[in-house]
Amino acid sequence: MAEKIIQFKVFRYKQGDPEPHYDTFMVTVNERTTVLDALETIRRDQDGTLTFRHSCHHASCGTCGMRVNGREVLACVTNVMELGTSEVTVEPLQNAPLISDLVVDMSGFYETYSQAHMPLIRESEYLTESEVAEGVPFHMRLESCLECGLCLSACPVVGTDPDYIGPATLAAVWRVVQEPRGEDPEALLAWIDSEQGCWRCHAAMECTEVCPSNVDPGGAIMALRGELTRRKIGRLFGKA
Amino acid sequence: MVETTQLNVRRRQRRPGAWLHVRRRHVGSWAFALNRLAGLGLVLYLILHLFVLSLLAKGPATWNDFVALAKSPLILPLDIILLAGILYHGLNGIRVALIGVGIGVRQHKALFWTLMLIAAVLLLLGTWGFITV
Amino acid sequence: MNTKRTGSWAGTLWILQALSGLLLILLLGTHMIVNHFVVEGGLRTYEDVVSYLSNPIVVVWEILFLIVVTFHAALGVRSILFDLGPKKTARTVINWGITVLGLLAVGYGVWLTFQIIG
Repeated sequence: MAEKIIQFKVFRYKQGDPEPHYDTFMVTVNERTTVLDALETIRRDQDGTLTFRHSCHHASCGTCGMRVNGREVLACVTNVMELGTSEVTVEPLQNAPLISDLVVDMSGFYETYSQAHMPLIRESEYLTESEVAEGVPFHMRLESCLECGLCLSACPVVGTDPDYIGPATLAAVWRVVQEPRGEDPEALLAWIDSEQGCWRCHAAMECTEVCPSNVDPGGAIMALRGELTRRKIGRLFGKA
Repeated sequence: MVETTQLNVRRRQRRPGAWLHVRRRHVGSWAFALNRLAGLGLVLYLILHLFVLSLLAKGPATWNDFVALAKSPLILPLDIILLAGILYHGLNGIRVALIGVGIGVRQHKALFWTLMLIAAVLLLLGTWGFITV
Repeated sequence: MNTKRTGSWAGTLWILQALSGLLLILLLGTHMIVNHFVVEGGLRTYEDVVSYLSNPIVVVWEILFLIVVTFHAALGVRSILFDLGPKKTARTVINWGITVLGLLAVGYGVWLTFQIIG
């Protein structure tokens, strides 16, 4: 298998440092090496203090979100050679407080996101031809959102205003509106029908671009706006 | 949940210029940033334009002198830039208005490029008009 | 269906910004063509302006254009400023500030128009 030596420029910060800096590591990669593989190699063989998060290694958990060559990705499925550069820059997600190296504080996000009350299980739109097994009401799957935070890092509005509800949460609200599953969509719509809610989006659609799980938060935000606009017009003509 | 105060987390900084960081971004982010810049440019032009119009209150001689200046070939490039700004902001604005209520969201990139093609054609027509009229 | 108002103006303002923008395609389009391409030489001399404004439909159209463009510009600037996440007092100041500036701009334009006609 072909091998290449790639230079990794990795963002470093430890508690107490006045400023972050970048460390350079040379790593031999092959055609199958992912950025996460490379980071683990660096930690194992070169610098045991490198801190980063990882879990499932197959884009299911959303834990390894970070920026590679300036773009938000899940490191576990980002192939190093396919990046096409001999130097690879690895940085933490933006718009979240920095804890250490590539690890950011996601708790602020979880706090907002949990207010959407989106159930984890949804009806599955796949397997429509296969018969549903006895005792099962319909085919089910997990919701698409991995809570990885890539969309929040990419969003220009989240960058300028921490109080913006944000694409992930807004997308979750849209899912509840589409399929309430026992939750209260009206209360959620009232919550996001605000300056900090769906109206704050400027249609950069960067969230949809970086989402690794087909959530299409941009589309969800616009769908929410469409729904709210329809209601406003309805109220206008309802009165007339 | 992480006890952030105990960890002395490096606080998240608000980045007022975040919308300008478009280098590694996709067309939608570029469209938004340009729309905003064009809008700001047009606001400045609007203020300038309103000031210039006050020359009308100073009588025919003052105004006609200004018109002669405005017809100078040095002003032509500025007129073209202005027209480009108007066309960009207006046509991208159609896209923002449409996708902003959920219409054509999946095709927003194709919509953008189509509208930019129209903008380019109108810009050429307008420039030709400025020169020939 | 529960369609009670949430009390937030955000959505209504966004819709008005979009609608005013679309309206401006028509208003600004005609304004540019009429003031740049119709007269001999393109730009209107003083005499051309006076004759142009002698038509009441023109006056109404141009003042409508002024109102809509000022509204759209003011809301646009407000949007940029609000994106910086100002606190409640700052928001109130911005809202009042752009309202006053907007009204001044429209007032000045209307005054100037009638100066020329008169």
